[in-house]
Amino acid sequence: MSPRLRRLGLALAACGLFSGAAADTEVSVADAGRDAYSQPFPGLTEAERDHFFRGRSLFRQSWVVSPAKDTEVDGLGPLYNRLACISCHARNGRGFAPDRPGERMQTMLLRLSVPGIGAHGGPLPHPAYGDQFNEEGIPGVPGEGRAETAWTETEVVLPGGETVMLRQPAFTFSELAYGPIEPVLVSARIGQPVFGMGLLDAVSAEELERMAAEAKPDGVGGRVNRVWDAAAGRAMAGRLGYKANMPNLRQQIAGAMLGDLGITSPLFGAQNCTPAQAACRQAPDGGHPELTGAQLDDMEFYLAHLAAPERRRVDDPRVRQGERLFAAIGCTACHRPLVVTGEHPKFPRLAHRAIAPYSDLLLHDMGEGLADRRPDYLANGREWRTAPLWGIGLAELIGERVGYLHDGRARSLLEAVLWHGGEAAPAQARFSTLPAPERSALLAFLASL
Amino acid sequence: MTTRIDPIRRRLLAGLAASLVAPGLLAAETRRTVRVLTSYPDAVVARFESAFEAAHPEYRLQFVWRMPHDAQPYLEAPGQNGVDVYWAASPRVFSALARAGRLQKLGLDTTGLPDRLGNAPLADPDGYYRCTEMAGYGFVVNPDALAGLGLAAPADWSDLADPRYAGRIALPIPARVGFAPPMVEIVLQAWGWQAGWALWSEIAGNAVLLDRNSTFVTDEVASGRLLVGLSIDFFVASAIANGVPVRFAYPRHGGINPAQVAIPAAAPDPAGGRAFAAFVLSDAGQRLLGHPDIRKLPVRPAVYAELPAGYYNPFAAAGLGAFDYDGDSARTRLALSAALFEQTFVADHAAHAALWQRVHAAEAAGKAVAAARRALATVPLDEAAAADPALRGLFQGRLEGSAAEPAGKVEQAWRARAAALRAEADAALKEVAA
Repeated sequence: MSPRLRRLGLALAACGLFSGAAADTEVSVADAGRDAYSQPFPGLTEAERDHFFRGRSLFRQSWVVSPAKDTEVDGLGPLYNRLACISCHARNGRGFAPDRPGERMQTMLLRLSVPGIGAHGGPLPHPAYGDQFNEEGIPGVPGEGRAETAWTETEVVLPGGETVMLRQPAFTFSELAYGPIEPVLVSARIGQPVFGMGLLDAVSAEELERMAAEAKPDGVGGRVNRVWDAAAGRAMAGRLGYKANMPNLRQQIAGAMLGDLGITSPLFGAQNCTPAQAACRQAPDGGHPELTGAQLDDMEFYLAHLAAPERRRVDDPRVRQGERLFAAIGCTACHRPLVVTGEHPKFPRLAHRAIAPYSDLLLHDMGEGLADRRPDYLANGREWRTAPLWGIGLAELIGERVGYLHDGRARSLLEAVLWHGGEAAPAQARFSTLPAPERSALLAFLASL
Repeated sequence: MTTRIDPIRRRLLAGLAASLVAPGLLAAETRRTVRVLTSYPDAVVARFESAFEAAHPEYRLQFVWRMPHDAQPYLEAPGQNGVDVYWAASPRVFSALARAGRLQKLGLDTTGLPDRLGNAPLADPDGYYRCTEMAGYGFVVNPDALAGLGLAAPADWSDLADPRYAGRIALPIPARVGFAPPMVEIVLQAWGWQAGWALWSEIAGNAVLLDRNSTFVTDEVASGRLLVGLSIDFFVASAIANGVPVRFAYPRHGGINPAQVAIPAAAPDPAGGRAFAAFVLSDAGQRLLGHPDIRKLPVRPAVYAELPAGYYNPFAAAGLGAFDYDGDSARTRLALSAALFEQTFVADHAAHAALWQRVHAAEAAGKAVAAARRALATVPLDEAAAADPALRGLFQGRLEGSAAEPAGKVEQAWRARAAALRAEADAALKEVAA
């Protein structure tokens, strides 16, 4: 998109004429296949492509237990969940929750904390198990234990007679290696899609505050999380993560490297061992830090330049009807079809874009049904960041098993919509009372994203 | 707004809003952990993990990831680091471990599992390891781009010497890209030492080199930036299954790289290791290889009938001589030939490619350039010298995954000799041009 067209897009947006269908082709791709979440922005230079590919290799890298000959990729653990970033974000897409009894959490993890406020205002980690349950330990270091998921299912009957089974998880711990875990606050997370994150990172704090301050229907509010920026050493606006508890992409990557893989980085240099985990603290490491600054740069570049897929079937009458309904029943109050990015000195390609993430990146009360009762900075136990919906229509093509919502409880977009409560309850109620063909049209619109 | 769903939702939420943690509930009984050492990527690991644990709820897998060059010392350490089963694609490492007495007999039912494919053995004759899947070598092509230049898809390695491919062939560097060394030996076995290296010289002159951790061969060919890429088949078959507009062509002189499974001699839970190995070799395990994100070649012939239409069947092709390559006999020379390739064609690739372009241009002009061809086709080592065990021993530690090592004296001498041969070619071309 030329600067002129980009200005036009912004002007249209200001006039309320932007439909979300006019994708910025410099930061999106028309791919509708299983690689749709894995494409770089079009037009990267050769040097940028090399940078992108180096980051891609690291994102797919299975990390190695130290000591090892492969010193560039060693240092897994001592405690960890999975071997690679891609393990939880298969094909850069979303994860899923275990379905059957005893099934391991392949693409899901459990955040832990205890009541109280931790350093810098975040969750207070569990004294023995830290802030994330790491089921695995490298040889010689006991993993923290096993976590299993059990489901309670309830049937919901929609007007017209359609029945939907909704399920809610409960988690049990066993084989605990470091003593009792309860009392503990637990919140499950499935892997999130990772494309388009650079663009979300580029939404300015001012834009977030502006969106939060806008008057919205149905009593919808929305607020900006304020979270600790480890590099800046101060609180900043949160943008990324299910609770908007990450201020930027770089910290999101470094946090996941430490929490999920046990890989230290320039941002988080200490191993993820609590005082109760003696073997963990004495285990060999893979250098100081294990992920170098250059490697973190590569990963950041890669994720920042993963394009969002363009919409499909935008002229299909049923999709257009669904799009109108999506706005009419109030979904766009939070799932905003237009957001503009601000300055991004590090990656200028991200700056001043009109993007269609279908999110405002703000925290909203989502009701008791989705509550995890685990505060995360300013987010209380009922609040969640509006999930971006771009690309969601390809989720089930790209991953043979996918879940929706933070803990993967929803097995379809219909289930996900029905779980909306709190500020979203009025919109959800309108959706539920739509005649079946109109509900179907709205879902067809979501499938076009 | 009051709707029918509201009271239902209220009941639902009342029923479901219990604590997210179910206190006091005991999880299933403890499962035995089976430690699997592997170098497979997550797309493979995750699917076998999920399927095995569903089939064997008494076990829980723990994967330890190491490239083959790093796996061998891991399995040579005291206690073999508690590994119960080793599962990877590195015939050299499995062979070395078996010779060193670090494996125990696999001892599985092998009904329905052939011991050979063409000239390629699929099982250790002494029973210490067995092939679990295969990958074939060949060419990824962009049919539209080839058609635009009036070129047919290459049918064999020799077709890649065509000057019209100059600068349009993607060549993974054998000494740096894990799967690539057998490609060198496939050509050398099929054409012989001298003619084989001559062919490689010309192909390398036409090629663009790809290092590890760089772009994918399929990316370059699908985009049309390059016409053909030398590759192992599963990368390409998976890309095709996921919608990438390329095709894969198996050459007339093909070869496979087999992956194996084995039980370490000191495995703490050999029964668990065997349960995993048996699953990998079972119908269910072999069918997983056909997943669009894996696309490897099963070793259980009966499984091909259940794979997607058009899935390449190497057992059928082997009957036509497509797999005469004997990987076992090439094994001890793989690293040496990759290193020789590096010093002769890669280290000064720009100069090498430029000379081949001049040769092709002169030939197009009807000039005789036999002397230049002869010089460029010569490698700084003859076949007898390459058979010297002491020389091969210098390179035996260079396995899949090894980082590029600084060239030793032998390699420096090869590079110097290659430079001298290029100077001869240059002089011969100047003479022809004069």
